[in-house]
Amino acid sequence: MRAVLLAGLLGAPGAGLAHASEGGIILLLPTDLYVAGGVASVIATVLLILAIPERAARRMFRPVALGRAPGIGRFSLLTSILSAGLLLWAVIEGFHGAQDPKHNPLPLLVWTGMWVFLFAAQGVFGDVWRWLNPFRGSYGVLRLLGLPRLLRWPGWLGHWPAVLVWVGFSALLMIDIAPADPDRLAGIVLGYWGLTLAACVTFGPIWLRRGEGISVALGLYAQLTPLRRAGGAVRLSAPGWSLLRGPVPGWSLALLMLIMLGTGSFDGLNETFRWLAAIGVNPLAFEGRSQVITQNTLGLALCVAALVAVYGLAVRAGLWLVGEQRFGLAFRMLAPAILPIAFGYHLAHYLPVALVEGQYLADMVSHLLGGPGYHVTTGFLFSPDKVRMIFLSEAGFVVLGHILAILMSHAAALQLTGSHRRAAISQAPLALFMIFYTFFGLWLLASPRGA
Amino acid sequence: MSDVTKKTGLVAASDHRPAAPTRRQALKTLAAGAGAAATMPLWARYASAQSAEPIRIGFGKHATGIGAAYGRWYDRVSQAAVAKINGDGGINGRMVELVTEDDGTDPRRAAELLEKFANQSNCDIAYGTLFSHVVIGAAPRAGELKLPYFVVSEGHHVASGMLNRWTVQPGITDVKSQVAAMAPFITDMLGKKVTMIFPDYGFGYDHRDNLTPAIEAMGGEVVGKIAIPPTETSFTKYFPQIPRDTEVIYHVMVGPAVLTFVKELGEFFGPSRPEIFGFIDSLEAVDINSPGLEFLEGTYFWEGMPRYLQPDAPDYVKAYRDAVGLDANGASTSDPSDVSTAAHMFGCWETLHVIKAGMEAAGYQSKDDRQALIEAVEAMTEMPAGPAHPQGAKIFNGKTHQVFGPQYISKVEGGKLSLVHTASAEETLYPDEVDYTTMDF
Repeated sequence: MRAVLLAGLLGAPGAGLAHASEGGIILLLPTDLYVAGGVASVIATVLLILAIPERAARRMFRPVALGRAPGIGRFSLLTSILSAGLLLWAVIEGFHGAQDPKHNPLPLLVWTGMWVFLFAAQGVFGDVWRWLNPFRGSYGVLRLLGLPRLLRWPGWLGHWPAVLVWVGFSALLMIDIAPADPDRLAGIVLGYWGLTLAACVTFGPIWLRRGEGISVALGLYAQLTPLRRAGGAVRLSAPGWSLLRGPVPGWSLALLMLIMLGTGSFDGLNETFRWLAAIGVNPLAFEGRSQVITQNTLGLALCVAALVAVYGLAVRAGLWLVGEQRFGLAFRMLAPAILPIAFGYHLAHYLPVALVEGQYLADMVSHLLGGPGYHVTTGFLFSPDKVRMIFLSEAGFVVLGHILAILMSHAAALQLTGSHRRAAISQAPLALFMIFYTFFGLWLLASPRGA
Repeated sequence: MSDVTKKTGLVAASDHRPAAPTRRQALKTLAAGAGAAATMPLWARYASAQSAEPIRIGFGKHATGIGAAYGRWYDRVSQAAVAKINGDGGINGRMVELVTEDDGTDPRRAAELLEKFANQSNCDIAYGTLFSHVVIGAAPRAGELKLPYFVVSEGHHVASGMLNRWTVQPGITDVKSQVAAMAPFITDMLGKKVTMIFPDYGFGYDHRDNLTPAIEAMGGEVVGKIAIPPTETSFTKYFPQIPRDTEVIYHVMVGPAVLTFVKELGEFFGPSRPEIFGFIDSLEAVDINSPGLEFLEGTYFWEGMPRYLQPDAPDYVKAYRDAVGLDANGASTSDPSDVSTAAHMFGCWETLHVIKAGMEAAGYQSKDDRQALIEAVEAMTEMPAGPAHPQGAKIFNGKTHQVFGPQYISKVEGGKLSLVHTASAEETLYPDEVDYTTMDF
C-alpha cells in the first residue's frame, strides 16, 4: 500500500490534475490572516466606490488614444500558418512520439503552452492568440483554394456553439480520465481541428469568432488588457474598458462568461479535501479520475448552474432595489464584470502548475534545440519563503480580479441605471456575491488538496 | 550497509555481476547444443547486438495523479538503470528501450496501458507502478494477456496470493515484512509499550494489523491505537488519547497535513516526550529540515534504503546514487532542495536488473519466451548485494513472487538521517501465503 506524499499532488494541467499544491507548507502559513486581508481589500473597494465622485466613476474606463496602431497585423496570418504547422507536427508526435505526457510535445503544447500560459498571456499582453491561432492559419491556407462559404451564419445561433465547445473543453480537462495521453490527445485535437475547418468552410471565418469556443474565450480575456487597439489607434484605460465599451453581449456570450468562472472554480474545488469527503473519496488514497467520472460530471454541472443562478438572483435583487425592470439587459451588461474574477483565478490556480510544467516545456524545447537535458524540480514547494511568495501572489491575483470586477460592474451599472447613487444601490447584492467569491477563491487556494 | 551480506550470510558481494544465472544458463545451453533461437549461445546473442531489435519494456509511470512525485523519481531511476544496462551491453546483446506511458495513478488507465503494451506498442513485458490500487486493478489484465508484469509497489497484494502467476515483485520488499521487522528494534531499544497513530484507512490498517502481533511476539504491547480520519488537518484533539504509560509512539501519518501533525505533536509533548518511531513514507521526498519537523530530532524512521549517504557506504551504492544523480543528502544533484523518494525508488533499479538477469537466464529472445522468463524469475533465490542490488542482499521467494531484503532504521541527528540498525532479510521472512508456481499460465 502506498501513501500520498506531500508533493504528490502536483500533476500536469489537464492530466490528473491534481495540480497546484504547496502541500504541507501552505497549511503551516497563517492563511486565515491572508484570506481575511484579501476579503477586506475587496470590501474596501466596494466602500471606496461609494465615496468617489460620479464624474470620476464615469471616467474610470474611458480610454485615452496613445497614437496610431502599427500596421503589423497582416503578419499575424503568416505566424498563424506557422503555428498550424507546429501543431500538426505536435499531433504527429502525439501519435508516434514518446507516450510520456511530460516528454511529448503535444500535451505540453496544449495543456501547458496553451491552457496554462497562453490563457494567462491573453489577459496580460492582449490578443497573442490572433498571432498563433492554428485554426485561423490552416483556414487561411484553405481559403487560398477559393472555397466559397456554403451557409450564412444564422443570427439565432449567437455564440451557442462556443458555449458547447467550452463545456466540452472543460469536460476534457476535468472529467476525462487521460486528457494528456499523447496519442489520445492527438486524435482529439485532430478531430476538433477537422470539425473547426469544416465549420469554417461552411460558415466562413465567423465560426472562429462565434463557434470556436477556445478562440472566443481567449478573445474575451484579451479584452481585459488596458492597452487595446481600437479604431486604428492604440488606447489605454483601466483593464476591461474594451469589454465595457463594446456592444452588450448576447445571452449566449454572457452565459459563456459565467460558465468560464464556473468551470474554473470547479477546477479548484474538485481537488479539495472538502469536496472529496463530500463525494465519499479518501483524499489520501484518491483512486484516480476513472473512479469519479459521475461525481465530477455532476459537480461541474452543479457548480456552473449554481453560479449562474446566484449571479442571476444577485442581478435581479439589485434591480429590485432601484425599481428597475430590465433584467435581461442587466444580466448581459454586467456579465463581462465576471471575467476578471475568472482570469484572476486562472492565474492563481495555475501559478504553481506553471512553475513546474513550465520546466517540462523548457526541457522539451532544450531537447529539440539540441540543448542539455534538464531535471525538473519541485523542491521550491518545500521552501517556506517561496511557498509564502507563491501563495501571496495567488491571493493577489484573486483579490485584484475581484477588485476589477467590482469596478467594472459598477461602471456597467452606471450605464444601465444612469446615476452613480442608483448604480451603487443596485450593485449591493452583486458586491456581496463578489465578496463571498473572494473568500471562496482564497479558501480554495489555502485548502488541503488530495485529488 | 556493507555488513548486510555478513548479517544475512548470503553470497558475498565480491562478484558484483548480476548475471550469475546467465553464465550458468549459457554453459547449460552450450552443453545441450540446442540450436533454437531461445537457446542461442551467448556469443551468438552478442554477435547480433547492434542489429537486433531492442527489448521493449512497457513502463506504467505515475506521471500524473496522486503518485506523480513518486513517478518523477521512479522515471529518473528507471532511465538511469536502463542506461547502465545498455552501457553494459544490454540484455542478451540487445539494447533495452523503456516505452513509458502515464497511468494517471488510476487502475482503469493502468489496465488499459497493459493492453496497449501487449497489443499496440509491441512490448516484451510490462513494468512499474507503485500505488497498490493501481497494481491490484491492472494485474488481472496482465494475467489475461499473459504479459509478464514486474511491479514495484511494496504492497502485500503480491505475496498474499491476490494476484496471478504473471505478476512478480522482485525488486522491492512488501509492507508486511517491513513492519514486522521493525518490532524487535522497537521493543529492544525503544520500549515495550507502543501507541500507534495511523490514518484511518487501508494504509494505516496494514501497519496496525502487521505491527501489533509482531510487537506482542517480542513481549511488547500495543497500548493505544489512534486512527485519524484521512481528511483531518488538525491533530491536537487526538493526543490526549495517547495512554500515559506509552513508551514509544509509532506514527505513519501521510498527506499534506503531516508537517502540521509533527508540529502539533511537538507542541503537545514539549521537551519530555516518549520515544518516537515512524515510517519515512510520511516524509518521503520531504526535506527533513522542513519547518515544523524540528521536533523529529532524535526520533527514528524506517527507511527502505538510506536517503543520506552513509559514511561506510560501499562503492556500488555510491555508483547507484551517482547514476541517478543524488547528492549526499538524497536530493537531486541539480537542485539540493529537490529531495528524492530514496526509500522506495531503488526498487526500480533492482527490478530492471532482475528483468535483465531473468531474461538472460531464460535465454529470452521473443515474446514466445514470456513464460520462460517468469519461470526463470521464479527459480531465483539469492540476490547478492552489488551494482544490481545496491539496497542490499536479497532472497527471492519464487512461490510467492516476492523478494525479501534488509530493512533500515535511521535516527534523525543534526537534521540528517543516520543509519543505526539494519534488519537482515532473514528477519523479515514470514510463512508463505500462496504458491503461484502451482498455478497455470
